[in-house]
Amino acid sequence: MSSDAHAQLAAEHEALIQFLYLAPVGLVQTGIDGEIVMINPISAQLLMPLSRDGCLTNLFTALEDVAPELRHLCAHFTRPNGMICDGLHIHLNSGAPAARTRAPHVLSLSLMKLDGARLMAVLSDVSEQVRRERQLRQSDAWLNALLTSITDYALVGLDRQGRVSDWNATIGRVTGFTPEVVGQPYSVFYPGDATTLEQVQDRLREADANGWSLDEGPRLRADGSQFLGSTMISPIPDLDPDSIAEGETAYCLVLRDVSGQRELIDTRRKSAFSDHLTGVANRRAFFEAAELELTRNRRTPRPTALILFDADHFKQINDRHGHPAGDQVLCQLGKALSNTFRQVDVVARVGGEEFAVLLPSSTLAGARTVAERLRELVAAEPVMCDGVPVSVTISAGIAAVDAGEHLDLDTLIKRADRALYAAKANGRNRVECWSGDHDAA
Amino acid sequence: MNAATDLSFATPNLHGQLAQLSQEQLDRLDFGVIGFDGETNVCKYNQTESDAAGLTAPRVLGQPLFTNVAPCLNNFMVAQRFEDAQDDSAALDDTIDYVLTLRMRPVKVKLRLLAAPGTGERYVLVQRKL
Repeated sequence: MSSDAHAQLAAEHEALIQFLYLAPVGLVQTGIDGEIVMINPISAQLLMPLSRDGCLTNLFTALEDVAPELRHLCAHFTRPNGMICDGLHIHLNSGAPAARTRAPHVLSLSLMKLDGARLMAVLSDVSEQVRRERQLRQSDAWLNALLTSITDYALVGLDRQGRVSDWNATIGRVTGFTPEVVGQPYSVFYPGDATTLEQVQDRLREADANGWSLDEGPRLRADGSQFLGSTMISPIPDLDPDSIAEGETAYCLVLRDVSGQRELIDTRRKSAFSDHLTGVANRRAFFEAAELELTRNRRTPRPTALILFDADHFKQINDRHGHPAGDQVLCQLGKALSNTFRQVDVVARVGGEEFAVLLPSSTLAGARTVAERLRELVAAEPVMCDGVPVSVTISAGIAAVDAGEHLDLDTLIKRADRALYAAKANGRNRVECWSGDHDAA
Repeated sequence: MNAATDLSFATPNLHGQLAQLSQEQLDRLDFGVIGFDGETNVCKYNQTESDAAGLTAPRVLGQPLFTNVAPCLNNFMVAQRFEDAQDDSAALDDTIDYVLTLRMRPVKVKLRLLAAPGTGERYVLVQRKL
């Protein structure tokens, strides 16, 4: 080769290298087990702060804490090649704006199987898009509530305090309540454990501030039966709030029975907000719900508790009984958690073997009682895996926001995490509450 | 070899000494040197670093470090440290473990982050781990 041709080739090679260095997305090529073969700088920028061991040897390991499902997703992808996940959102933290940090809030990951030996991954910071998307989704929900084919709805007038101010035939048709419901708070349409007194007020304040408040979930008929309902509350327009007499209608509540769309809603929820393995909420749903609860908490002070649960010696369970058994243990834990806590509590899987439960309007002591009950329950009943009983215990760490205390979500999580660490250090199979001095640890 | 080029990655008080070196002396050092100014534009880039990264100096000099040269350092572990030091007019001399993506291969390195108040010039030094 002539020296000119050689120089030309070297220059092209350098340009190509720089092209990859400067690509504003993360690109990674790995083996089928996630072992990193090639990786560009943006990937290192995004992954290094997450990597527990400070290495970038394996992509799955680097993302273990925030996307525990990856290994599983790849292992269960049976086609010889194709897209394993496309734009999977990985939630890193609450997204609360913290001063002087540039930490991303949500990463997007696409994983492509090239063949039996190779994967390609694309990583990017999509924090800003997610923020915009969330706003859009709110407007979508609002339009959806107005425009989707409404088979039937109840139109309910509420007074300033949220008590039913009038009865009409639509209320009777959808909920079965008689005129005697007048004067009762609108929580009468919610199952006992599906809302709290404070949330009843929150929705009114949100309606005041935004013009509307929308939520979807289990609702109650007069005969005690439940249905999936969507509730929208909006203030009566052009009314001066101060001139409304006691008991006079101040808000309009539209209650729709959306049971017919249940499948659609469930699928939508599941794909975006559920953990694929256990069916409980995922990190994204947890962060969104927790952030909302703490924002409301600031407006209307009340206690809020957070419990972090971790399966003890989970690695040993996996090693001794195999990963399918480990998965089964996690499913069983998810089920036990869902059965133990109230509908209003948010149960989520937030790490490989770590679960979080957010308890609105609950004190540290209250949360402790339930956590203790669950701990005993789990310890008492081994999980059956292929006919083999596997004993499992859990440790829990609890922290709470007292009424009137201003605490951000990341701090609350950190405190619960410290308490969990103490529970582990004190021998596992125990529940510990955060006490100020753990901060020093 | 004169005293100036006996400098090693771990030499104490390195910031002031680096500023004294000629380009030729910088090139002889066995660790990578990336110097950048108060605006984060790269103003020094030695041969060791150039060889490791596969980029020649003209492609790098004058470019903003954290966006156009080494975006892998644009996080709280590195870029934030320099920003904080600048905001607080504080000195920075810290060595951290990191992984660089030299020619798209993950390479374990030690990074030494150097900044001194009152001087615009700051450095990232790169030592490959053996």
